[in-house]
Amino acid sequence: MALSKYESQVRAPLVDGDKDYHQITEDIVRPIETDPSKLWWIGFIISIGLLCFGVYSIYREIVYGIGQWNINHTIGWGWDITNFVWWIGIGHAGTLISAILLLFRQGWRTGVNRAAEAMTIFAVICAGQFPIWHMGRVWMGFFVLPYPNTRGVLWPNFNSALLWDVFAISTYFTVSLLFWYCGLLPDLATIRDRAKLKWRKFFYGVASFGWSGSTKHWQRHEALSLVLAGLSTPLVLSVHTIVSFDFATSVIPGWHTTIFPPYFVAGAVFSGFAMVQSLLVITRKVLKLEAYITIEHIDVMNKIIVLTGSIVGCAYLTELFIAWYGQNKFEGWAFMQNRVNLFSPLGWSYYIMMGCNVISPQLFWSRKLRRNITFTFFMSVIVNIGMWFERFVIIVTSVYRDYLPSSWSTYYSPSLYELGFYLGTFGLFFTCYFLFSKFFPVIALAEIKHILKKSGENYKEKMGEAEKETVEEFAHEMAHAH
Amino acid sequence: MGDKKHWQSFGERTNSDSFKELSEKEFREELPVEGLDSKGLLDLKSPRRDFLKYLGFSTAAAALAASCEIPVKKVIPYLNKPENLIPGVADYYATTYVSSGDVVSILAKVRDGRPIKIEGNESSTITKGGTSAKVQASVLDLYDTARLRYPVQMVNAAPQQVTTFEAFDKLVADALGTLGGAPIVLLTSTITSPTTKQIIGEFLAKNSGSRHVQYDVDSSSGILLANEASYGKKAIPSYQFDNAKIIVSLGADFLGTWLSPVEFARQYSKGRKIDEKNPEMSMHYQFESMLSTTGGNADERFVHRPSETGAVALALLAELGGSVTAPALGDKLKFGIKEAAKDLLANKGKGLVVSGSNDVNVQIIVNAINELIGANGTTINWSAPLQTRQGIDSDFETLVADLNAGKVGALFVYGVNPAYTYYAADKFKAGLQKTKVSVSFNDRIDETTELCRYAIPAPHFLESWGDAEPKAGYFSFLQPTIAPLFLTRAFEDSLLKWSGNSTSYEDYFRKYWTSKLGGVDGYEKALQEGVVEPSSPSTSGAPYNGGKLAGAASAVSSKKAGSGIELVLYQKISVGTGNQANNPWLHEFPDPITKATWDNYAIVSPDYAKKTWGLDLANRRQADKYEVYPDKRVVVIKAGGKELKLPVLIFPGIHNDVIAIAVGYGRQSTAADKTADYIGRAVVGVGKNAFPFAMFNGTTVDWFVPEVNIEQTNETYSLAQTQTHSSYEGRTEVVKEVTLEDFKKSPNEILEDREKELKPYGGVDNFEKEGTLYPYYDKPGIHWGMSIDLNSCIGCGACAIACHAENNVPVVGKSEVLRYHDMHWMRIDRYFSGDPEDADSIQTVFMPMLCQHCDNAPCENVCPVSATNHSSEGLNQMAYNRCIGTKYCANNCPYKVRRFNWADYNGADSFPNNQVFTGVGKLDDSVIMMNDDLARMVLNPDVTVRARGVMEKCSFCVQRLQEGKLKAKKEDRPLKDLQDVRTACQQACPTEAIVFGNVNDGSSLIRKTREGNSQRLFYALEELHVMPNVSYLAKVRNTEKLSESINES
Repeated sequence: MALSKYESQVRAPLVDGDKDYHQITEDIVRPIETDPSKLWWIGFIISIGLLCFGVYSIYREIVYGIGQWNINHTIGWGWDITNFVWWIGIGHAGTLISAILLLFRQGWRTGVNRAAEAMTIFAVICAGQFPIWHMGRVWMGFFVLPYPNTRGVLWPNFNSALLWDVFAISTYFTVSLLFWYCGLLPDLATIRDRAKLKWRKFFYGVASFGWSGSTKHWQRHEALSLVLAGLSTPLVLSVHTIVSFDFATSVIPGWHTTIFPPYFVAGAVFSGFAMVQSLLVITRKVLKLEAYITIEHIDVMNKIIVLTGSIVGCAYLTELFIAWYGQNKFEGWAFMQNRVNLFSPLGWSYYIMMGCNVISPQLFWSRKLRRNITFTFFMSVIVNIGMWFERFVIIVTSVYRDYLPSSWSTYYSPSLYELGFYLGTFGLFFTCYFLFSKFFPVIALAEIKHILKKSGENYKEKMGEAEKETVEEFAHEMAHAH
Repeated sequence: MGDKKHWQSFGERTNSDSFKELSEKEFREELPVEGLDSKGLLDLKSPRRDFLKYLGFSTAAAALAASCEIPVKKVIPYLNKPENLIPGVADYYATTYVSSGDVVSILAKVRDGRPIKIEGNESSTITKGGTSAKVQASVLDLYDTARLRYPVQMVNAAPQQVTTFEAFDKLVADALGTLGGAPIVLLTSTITSPTTKQIIGEFLAKNSGSRHVQYDVDSSSGILLANEASYGKKAIPSYQFDNAKIIVSLGADFLGTWLSPVEFARQYSKGRKIDEKNPEMSMHYQFESMLSTTGGNADERFVHRPSETGAVALALLAELGGSVTAPALGDKLKFGIKEAAKDLLANKGKGLVVSGSNDVNVQIIVNAINELIGANGTTINWSAPLQTRQGIDSDFETLVADLNAGKVGALFVYGVNPAYTYYAADKFKAGLQKTKVSVSFNDRIDETTELCRYAIPAPHFLESWGDAEPKAGYFSFLQPTIAPLFLTRAFEDSLLKWSGNSTSYEDYFRKYWTSKLGGVDGYEKALQEGVVEPSSPSTSGAPYNGGKLAGAASAVSSKKAGSGIELVLYQKISVGTGNQANNPWLHEFPDPITKATWDNYAIVSPDYAKKTWGLDLANRRQADKYEVYPDKRVVVIKAGGKELKLPVLIFPGIHNDVIAIAVGYGRQSTAADKTADYIGRAVVGVGKNAFPFAMFNGTTVDWFVPEVNIEQTNETYSLAQTQTHSSYEGRTEVVKEVTLEDFKKSPNEILEDREKELKPYGGVDNFEKEGTLYPYYDKPGIHWGMSIDLNSCIGCGACAIACHAENNVPVVGKSEVLRYHDMHWMRIDRYFSGDPEDADSIQTVFMPMLCQHCDNAPCENVCPVSATNHSSEGLNQMAYNRCIGTKYCANNCPYKVRRFNWADYNGADSFPNNQVFTGVGKLDDSVIMMNDDLARMVLNPDVTVRARGVMEKCSFCVQRLQEGKLKAKKEDRPLKDLQDVRTACQQACPTEAIVFGNVNDGSSLIRKTREGNSQRLFYALEELHVMPNVSYLAKVRNTEKLSESINES
């Protein structure tokens, strides 16, 4: 019996370019061991600049009040919560790739999972900024935590969907971080072992938690990965479900909709994959990792985009149908007037949403377009714009003209500092991502080596002979080889 | 026993040296303390006993130094507690609001020595405890930072303090001494005070040739002169709207600004309340040029050009059978007049026609009409003439001419400001400057005072003694509720002094009334009650003389009707003629009709907008675009050589060829940069002055211009409105209205509609229990509830200002209202229905909207920290300290009544210096002004001043409820509504539209109101099952049909 009994004739290899183990290590660790490129510096400085503007925007908001933003007594949530939901949605792809695809044993995930998980963590960090800083008295924000106190039985309000968010997001963040870091351990140890500089040795030594590569370590690592994957999988569904409860459990027409949980999850995966595409298309180019993040990866992810985009599209149409079929005057108004009516004050946003999320992804039915990198990048940006508008449409166009016409709001557009806060989270995200790509392997070194054997001439060349042997012979040989 | 000595040791007994040494030490052993030397422990550098002191001090100091900057608070305790004053318990003093002739009997709520709130005085049969927005806001005028704080003389156009009254008296006496017999003129607003009048009389008697001129900005000379012609009395009768079944108003805004609106509103509402068993109500016709608050309440409304005012009156007279020929008028108008006449004739003796015109001829015709319909002696009462307007326009014209001719030696100005309000202000100013001696008694360096030589500010009415006689025989008294804040002296005191009388006005006043009221007891009782009124009021007519009618009719019919665009000036219910202009509460109060704040503007019709700019408000797309952007077009209005650049608001209900501008805005000192110091920080840049457009027609001043030119500009200007959408979009879940006829025919229609809607969920009766999956909880004890009668509410907004004052609602300034950050807890939603291009079809509904205190409140379950929660008494309450400001509650409120502190409006947060900044959210100076130590004196100590970042909203005046409950508890009796608890809005309401109380108490008024009006009762958005505790009574219109919603789709 040969060791490798089956090699797919249909699937393209998951790693291109006849890499061997050493080459992989070299390719992926190179950016960490060399000085960053000019491009990296430019990007990093821009990101820091945006971050600083974000910090200033928040500073103003803390000192002068939420009045620094253009939300008002009718539109209580505007760009802040829109951005929150958007960032949280983006995070979902990372968890989906690392957890669900791990459980489903999708080999291709190893090329993209590290970066996607990092993206998840940074996106959740960015998302978390909004519910924190949108509080009027952020210095009292700890009231939302159920901590024992001397005020009698004073707990947070467990009925509030906002409190559920606190738990959902903090759990999500913790599990994602653990999962990501757990995967990083063997890779950090590799860097440590290769390190020639003292500080690097020290830093990666500490970070790798004394990983020695022993079988016991590997066994525990595998087990832990599976456990965390198991934990993360329901989180992929629960986090955005709970975020959607912020709206679904309210009484506002346009928010009060039972379809929200699945619709939000599909939308989150949709936008998350788009963001992964945006990041990886650039990363593979800049870090020269085209062999690892192949056109196949891009193709597969584009398929997920067209799938989830279509689910989201169905959800939009279902919502519209129910708004009409339900014959609720107020819900009908929220959909037909505030959204579908292009000429209502914010009606245009609905059409941006529809165009970007439902119509444009349909182009991905074409294999040629799916495998076109420039087009993919363009589409990934379009999808994320569309998904931002989805949240804007849900949040703002529902509430700005609701029950009492007397309270209908004037036109809402963000103030400089409202915009600044959003840009600041971009700064935060990319600052984190640039640092990540400089100091951590953007591809899971250890994991991608697992899949190498199934692909590539290099492997066949070296292992071909061995594989002709029977297992017994091979075992015997191994046992006596010194 | 005395000599017996106890000892504890032999040492003590023998008093040995070693014992002495030991006893000086506290401890037996040597202590390991540094620097002990031979001195005692207590002489140490840091003795043990001080250790805790030092520890405590250093800890506290470290904590203090490390923490935020803590503002220094001033606390001034009483050294000796004044008698009858319990700190924390409010005293109420009966006094009187007096301003430019207006008189309202009030109670001033005084907390710890400072008046903080004004309530209506229920002892007054005129107002019965009703107030208006201006009255409610007047308490803030007391703490106006721009008040003149001491007597001054103007030197080189700059005020120079005169340190004592004696010095001031000497200055004036010296100046008057140089007059050489030239007359002194006392220029005042209408004075209703008998003592003041007497003092003026005495002063005039001492200075021969002198005279007293009363000048009313919103003058009623037309009525006064017409009545002189028709009844031989230069007086205004009392109007009895409560006796009228048919009310026809020819442009009189009697519910808002005309003569005695608080009184009229109360009377009017009597005819508007519906008794379900026998539904009847008065019929109100309004003929006017622009939509006034009163017009908004009318059952039938017809618009005409302002130049047709006389013609409309004449046509009505002709229709009623008067011996005059009807002039030519439009068909619609003719129809309206015919209908009104028919109703008036059918209800002889039960009709009343009033006219807001200041034209003598028009008023003579109106008198003839009232004679024909039998109003004289029924709805027009001559037994107690109204005295709130006595000024004759031509008197003032003569005075201005005299001033310019140098015929006046000295001018004393008190309570008027012609340099601002007079249409030909420059002429007056020139005359004033020619006058040798001029003394102002106004409360600030206003436009007129600025030009006077001397100014001695009169105290605010809350600091004064005095009396007022709004109607003959009806007296209302003023007593000081606080020691004068500044070096001010009453006008009367000055006059007494300058006429050589050494009595103070207080003594004069006491003597006068003690003798009138039969002794000190009567006097004190009068002060306590606040009013003295005839015990049996009578209604009588006056002999009518129609001799002048023919002349008036021919004068009116000879007047050519205008053909182009006509301009009409009007007063806003809040700002009025601008005499309370530095009052941010009034500026921030949205106009009942336009909902605009902090500005005046030109109102034009949708028809004009369509013709001029192609802007069709009946088209939803265009209407949306128009309403969501606060930037409005700016036009230049030119008339009679004067021009004014103003933003335009398009509103239905105004005649297609009319443009309307509110007066009372655009206050400005000669040197514009002095306005903030002299007139006040809140008036800077607020609106434009429209008074120059008024015209003198030979006898009286008219507030309209028959021919104006409107020039377009490319500019825009932001107008801050608190409501931008005017239609209720046919949402009968929000507002319910019905015609009287339909209501009579099917009185249960509303109830049946509700029943039908709620039928699947248990019907009206079981909806609470069956409309939900959740368990039902009993509500024992007190359960607070409110009922608002949409039929009684006239939209005057007294409630909104009362709420402002009671609950320390912050002022946010125009810049923040523009961003929809207004903070009103109580607002009045105003909806129009009808065809925007047909002004006659416009129907208006006013709906007071406040927190509905839902028993199943959507705001409560979404708050992550339970900062907003439900009390066992049904209150939806806010724990401000717990609020972290997520705004989720505001989003989830279907009524959008929650208000968020977007910025540090009142300096209540712990961030230092964060009110003054630039860029986004910059706060107006008026907000900063409200945080002046002086202005802050108006704050109600019973109500928390909310910090930035927390949500707030109506609390049903929980502080009042607590007080009422305690009162009942102390007296060991059940709580009685009205007597124990009244919300501020309820107290202020002149029409008793708001009823509040314990719904669990079978005998409470709220229970009776709900039970007695079950056919009209509804809850806004009832089907949401939020279970509001505010119920509404549907609006009933005495008209044929309800208009359709504007651009209903």
